[in-house]
Amino acid sequence: MLAVDHVSRTFQNGKAGFKNIDLQLRRGEVVGVLGTSGCGKSTLLRVLSGLDSQYEGRIRTEAERPEEAFGMMFQEPRLMPWLTVLDNVRFGFSKKDKKSEALELIETVGLQGFEKHYPKDLSGGMAQRAAIARSLLSQPDILLLDEPFSALDAFTKMQLQDLLLSIWEKRKTTTLLVTHDIDEALYLCDRIVIMRGQPGQIESEIFINRPKPRKRGDAHLAELKEEVLKELDFTKS
Amino acid sequence: MSSRTEATVRPASKGKKTRVSVKGNLSGSWLGLILPAFIILLWEYASRAGWVAPHLLPSPTIVVDEMSSMAQDGELWGHITITLYRVFAGFLAGALAAVILGAATGYVKVIHQLLDPMLQALRAIPSLAWVPLFILWIGIGEASKITLVAVGVFFPVYLNLTSGIQGIDRKLIEVGRIYNFSSLQQIKKIILPASLPSFIVGLRSGLSLGWMFVVAAELLGASQGLGYLMVYGQNTSAPSLVIGSIILFAIFGKITDEMLKRIQVKTLKWQDNLENAS
Repeated sequence: MLAVDHVSRTFQNGKAGFKNIDLQLRRGEVVGVLGTSGCGKSTLLRVLSGLDSQYEGRIRTEAERPEEAFGMMFQEPRLMPWLTVLDNVRFGFSKKDKKSEALELIETVGLQGFEKHYPKDLSGGMAQRAAIARSLLSQPDILLLDEPFSALDAFTKMQLQDLLLSIWEKRKTTTLLVTHDIDEALYLCDRIVIMRGQPGQIESEIFINRPKPRKRGDAHLAELKEEVLKELDFTKS
Repeated sequence: MSSRTEATVRPASKGKKTRVSVKGNLSGSWLGLILPAFIILLWEYASRAGWVAPHLLPSPTIVVDEMSSMAQDGELWGHITITLYRVFAGFLAGALAAVILGAATGYVKVIHQLLDPMLQALRAIPSLAWVPLFILWIGIGEASKITLVAVGVFFPVYLNLTSGIQGIDRKLIEVGRIYNFSSLQQIKKIILPASLPSFIVGLRSGLSLGWMFVVAAELLGASQGLGYLMVYGQNTSAPSLVIGSIILFAIFGKITDEMLKRIQVKTLKWQDNLENAS
């Protein structure tokens, strides 16, 4: 579905960014990228989404037009404040286009009744729900999530994580999730890639063979968390 | 707490919301009338009681009488229409030029580097300094007055538009790039609506400068218009004419600003500010 071959993007004379990333995503797979801050994991998403074109290496997708393969969701909702929720969800499409799909997605993310509201009337969690709907409307082959819930409180975060799970259940969207929340990665992903160093490189991969939805207090997940923490060990250089 | 809000928040019924805000606005505008009404009453009383000399400050009723008799002669309408015409023509010309140049310098960096320093330098010139030059160049007719108004309108609109464009959140622009927008789509779907608030602020302050400049132009060389009426009143020792013209300026300035304000409120109801707080 997505093949990343030896992709590098470095800043400041090779001291920041990431180097020699090899990563393959299968159709329908949810892969988490975990790493300490500054290891280039957000830069990786910017490169994949086309926001940063100054990279080396190859990125291959199955889409006819590679630039349309990706949908992206940011840490902040980034809704257009002058558009209603409905118009934000179908942002980028001409008026009247995709209306029924947009309404359906609004219902999926639990915002029915708020179609005509402006972003200023939404809470942080609701705005992020609208952003989820917007990123799904174009039916991207690969959904890129850049720490999507890190700005939300713990309860809203859990609600939205469950929302993502139910959306994946239905749509089987291939997803690359960048996060620094180990529990989130363990709860949502089929596989976790751990990045370390400056510039960041892939240190190891952890497969999570547990059916979803998982229990948040699962003992196996707790063991995996130990393993992840060991991999992320900050004293190791 | 927030998760509970999430679950329980339901859209408020729309009709209720608007009714409350209209009511609030209405009582607010009534409050604003109290002080002017009180001042007019006091002024009338002071004139009648002989506290002020009538050849310096005639009473409101005398001013109104004078103006209404001029209106009945039909003389006043000529002055009003010519002044309104100058303001609107100058406003349109100045705003149009500001939109074209402001958009160009806002979007294209090279044009910004090329034009902006010069425009900023021109802005430093007190605008009345242009008057003799305009009269020399384009004569004493309508064109020079409209040009002067246009110069006054141009700078606030230009400055607000460029700063609005430059202040657009980079994060929103990135959303457009995720959608692979062309530059035209970026302009239409993100840059234009995002810079609209400061553009309208620019239009409003441009309009008020336009009124200021029309007075200047008419004071300095005109044979018709409200500004000319003021000079005429001064020369013939008729303070009621001067005061009447000032009041007419106030009324028309307020009406035109109110029109822009209505547009502002209507197009910017998405803004998260005090004005829109319900």
